[in-house]
Order: sequence, then C-alpha cells, then structure tokens
Amino acid sequence: MNDLAIEATGLTKLFGDFKAVDNLDLQVPKGTVVSLLGPNGAGKTTTVRMLATLLRPDSGRAKVNGYDVVREAGAVRRTTSLTGQFAALDPNLTCRENLTLIARLRGMDRATASARADTLLERFDATEFASRLIKQVSGGERRRVDLAASLIEQPELLVLDEPTTGLDPRSRQVVWTTVRELVAEGITLLLTTQYLEEADALADRIVLIDHGREIAAGTPAELKAQVGEQRIDVIAADTPAFEQLSKALADQGFETTLMPELRRISVAAPNEVLDLTRVSQAVAATGIAIDEIALRRPTLDDAFIALTGHAAESTDNQADDQAKELVA
Amino acid sequence: MITYARETTLLTWRGLRAITRVPERLLDVTIQPVVFILLFLYVFGAAIQVHGISYKDFLFPGIIAQSLAFGIMGTGTATANDMREGVVDRFRSMPVGRLSIISGQVMGQLCEQLLGLVITVVLGLILGWRPSFDLGHGLELFGLVALSMLAFTWMGVYVGMVVRSSDAVQGVGFIVIFPLTFMAGTFVPIAKMDLIPRTIGDWDPISAFVATLRKLTENYPSSGSWPLDHPELAMLIWSLVLLGLFVPLALRRFNKGLAS
Repeated sequence: MNDLAIEATGLTKLFGDFKAVDNLDLQVPKGTVVSLLGPNGAGKTTTVRMLATLLRPDSGRAKVNGYDVVREAGAVRRTTSLTGQFAALDPNLTCRENLTLIARLRGMDRATASARADTLLERFDATEFASRLIKQVSGGERRRVDLAASLIEQPELLVLDEPTTGLDPRSRQVVWTTVRELVAEGITLLLTTQYLEEADALADRIVLIDHGREIAAGTPAELKAQVGEQRIDVIAADTPAFEQLSKALADQGFETTLMPELRRISVAAPNEVLDLTRVSQAVAATGIAIDEIALRRPTLDDAFIALTGHAAESTDNQADDQAKELVA
Repeated sequence: MITYARETTLLTWRGLRAITRVPERLLDVTIQPVVFILLFLYVFGAAIQVHGISYKDFLFPGIIAQSLAFGIMGTGTATANDMREGVVDRFRSMPVGRLSIISGQVMGQLCEQLLGLVITVVLGLILGWRPSFDLGHGLELFGLVALSMLAFTWMGVYVGMVVRSSDAVQGVGFIVIFPLTFMAGTFVPIAKMDLIPRTIGDWDPISAFVATLRKLTENYPSSGSWPLDHPELAMLIWSLVLLGLFVPLALRRFNKGLAS
C-alpha cells in the first residue's frame, strides 16, 4: 500500500452530539489530486484537520505518507503541509518575516531562509507587497503568501483547505496555476472546495461529502455520468415554431422531451457530436426558425443536486457554517 | 534541547515583534495600574490612614502586586486572540515541538508583562515612591517577582486557551481576580476588613504577594495568618503550586486542540 499518500478508514469526529465526520473512508494515490467536495459544514475542514494531526479522530484510522496520524504525528508533520481555510500567518509580521520565520522553524539558517523566502515571494508574484504587514494586505495577497508558506519545504503531500474561497479572480488564477505546476512536479494534493468548477478543473478524483459522509466518488466524468446522459437542446424561435418543430422531430423518430414554457426540445444524444450533427441537419431541413441549438453535458452542479438532494450553497449561511467548521 | 531553545527563541521573537507593531498593547498592561495609582493616591488616599507608614509607600507595593495578578487577564486575552489567528495552527501542523510553541507564547507574554511592570515602577518613582532594600533583598525580590510572573503567565495562557473568547477572559477576571486583588490588602490593611473579606484576604494568594513586596521594599510587616507572617515563603509556595498546576494543564490542553 506504499502508493497511497492518504489512506483513511472509518474516520469519525464528534463535537458533542454533532457528527462532523461520520465513518469516512478516503484513499489518495501518490501523485494525484483528490478533491473533497461538499457544501459548508459538510465536514471537509474537520477531515483535513484530522489528517494534518491538528485533531485526533474519535474513531477510525488514517495513514498519511505511510505514517499513522496519531502514533506517528511527527513524521506526518514533516512530510505534509496544510494550508488552512483561514490564512495561517501572523498578522503583525510582514509577508517576508512570516516566510523567514517558518523557514527558520523548519531548521534553515538565516541566509538560506532569506533566500528561500525571496524565491517564493517571486514565484507567487508577491515581491511588491513583501514588506507590508499581513494585516495590511488584501485577502488574495494573504492567500498567496499563505500558499508560499506551505511550500517553504516541498512537502510530499499538500493539503489545501478551500484555497480560493473569497478570492478575487486574479488571486484565484494564481492559486490554480500553482496547483497545476505543483501537480506537474509530482506533488500529491488533497483539495477541499465548495466550488464544483474548481474540483472539475483541478482534481483527478472527486469525493463528494455531505453531513460528514461520502455521498459519491469518482472522476469528474464518472460523477457527471451518474446524473444522466448528454442531451441536445433546441430552442425554437417562437411558440408556433416550437410546436411545428417538436412534431417534425418526433416524426423523424427522435426521442424528445418537451418544455413548452422555455420553447425547448431536448433530444437524447448518446452519440454526442454525431447526434448533434443529425439533429441540426434535421432542424435545418424543416426550415423552422430556432434561437439556439447546443449539446448539453451534465455539469457537476447537476451531479451535486442529484446526489445530495440540494444545491451547493456558495455564499448563503457562510458565516454561520464557518463558525460551525471553526469548532473543528 | 538545542532545537527546543532555538524554536522557543524564534517564537518568542514573533511575540515581541507584536509589541513594536501594535504598541497599543502596552497600554493594556499599563492603563490599569495607572488608573488605580491616580485613584487611590489622590482621590481616596488622603482619607485613608495606615499605621506606621505613609499611604504612598503602603500603596505602591500593593499596586505592583495587583498588576502582576492582572497579568493573568492580559495574558489570557492576548492568548485567546492569538490562538484563533490560525498561525498557531500552522505551527502545530509543522514539525515544531508543542512545548516550544507554548513556551514561545509564555515568553512573549512574560516580556510584555515585564515591560508593563517596569513602566508602573518608573511611574511610582516619578510620583515619589522611595523603596529601599539591600542587595540581598533586591535579589530575593527579583527572583520572587519573576517566578510569580511566570506562574501567572502560564495560568493566563491556560485560561486563554480554555475560554471561547477574549471577552470571556475579561468577564471571568472581573468576577474572580478583581475582588481578590481588593481583599489582598492592596489598598487598605486586611486587619481592618469585615470578617468574611478578612478571612479571604488572610489566605488569598495575592495577599502573600502584596505582603512580600511591602516587606522587601518598605520593611513593613503584615500579620494575621500564616501566609502573612511568612510572606516570602508563601509567595514561593503559591508560585510553585500555580506552576505545578497550570504548566501540565496548559500542555495537555494544547495537545488536545483548542477550545471550541
């Protein structure tokens, strides 16, 4: 089992009566990106805090880089870096001082620590605000320094807890680019997120969790496939066109689903682009006016709703749920 | 051991940096003694007669002992805030000794309290307080004050980790520590108090500190109970008891994770 960076079985954490994490199994093969995807309060932060040795599991076991998180916590800490949900930096130190302090705590001498800080500040596009205090820089800038702090020594496993929550697009882009670079360098990454598109864009494998339990797991494509097949949506130009077109397509043997209020005719498209060509040729042959024709693949949003029974909350109740996760 | 010293030094430096970056923090340590000095010296002082000593000389040792005790609240508040910043979580997730992290916290707070103490003493000297002691008593004084500050700081760090917010530290401090500092003979002699506060005052740990400071700086004796008759020994015992209690408690709490 040496090819697993994370191997957790039956991981459980209780806060009073509240089951934050409930019998969770998790496997992360080395060199891959696995995303824990779930709404606020799903237990993502609690899970990563147990894996990073900050919380002791109530039951279940976890090995990180081959070391037990309870009995061999020191070895886990040496080989893992955690970037928490809230910037883990000293607000009264400058960006640069934070990085050198962490480098020195990792055992580097003054000169090495200083050189390492410079390299990372440059890499994260942070040189211009390096001498400002952490409490004086923007959330996105702080996040970049935070990420830099996690890479002072290249860890075997990097855990990123909601790395782009609340970030501006530029900072978000920097984070995504960095993640892709790190993956190319062979680092293993566990990423929690409540953004479906982020999991879709970055992860090899997604574990969908809700109420501390695994709801579904698989590659982004597999999860989408669980929701159903591709369809082609044709939007007719007006209501008479809608009626004519739906009859014409049905006559030609297409399997259609009608949504008259949207003037939308959905056609099953198991053969994707091939079907798209057939349908568009059929529509063109009728000469009926349409507004739009498109191949529609199910999104992770669809998967999320189908699997959890509710939509992923992105901003509502955030403060409330963050408070809950802080309990972790 | 070398690693421990190195890590603790680095983390203490982090704490001290906060003083230069947020000098207002020093105000928290000094404002309370200043207010009490002004209040008792110039508002109540003229009406209080203490046998055998000027009220100014009676008051200052008391104020200093009181501000040592208030250090528990100051440390608690600062720790409660600090532990929630997230940076401590980063240290905890790194290969850094748990003992180093908490020692850094204690040392940083200790320095801050020490600076507050120096400011209070200097203010006392400016206002005409004239303590007198020989070298031996000076060293004894320094040792006892340092030890008790260390004990109070550990206690404050523990309290800061246990409570949910810095407001809670203030609340608890106001209900528990505040009255204890008043019954400790800080401002008026314990012997003249009513039965209940007198009994509490006789055995109040802060009384032993007040009595020690008064004895060593003014050669003014206190009496009424065993701790007051032997204040230096009582102060030493209390400090060691507090250390013996709160060092392990704080370490255990820190290893377990912080308050929810």
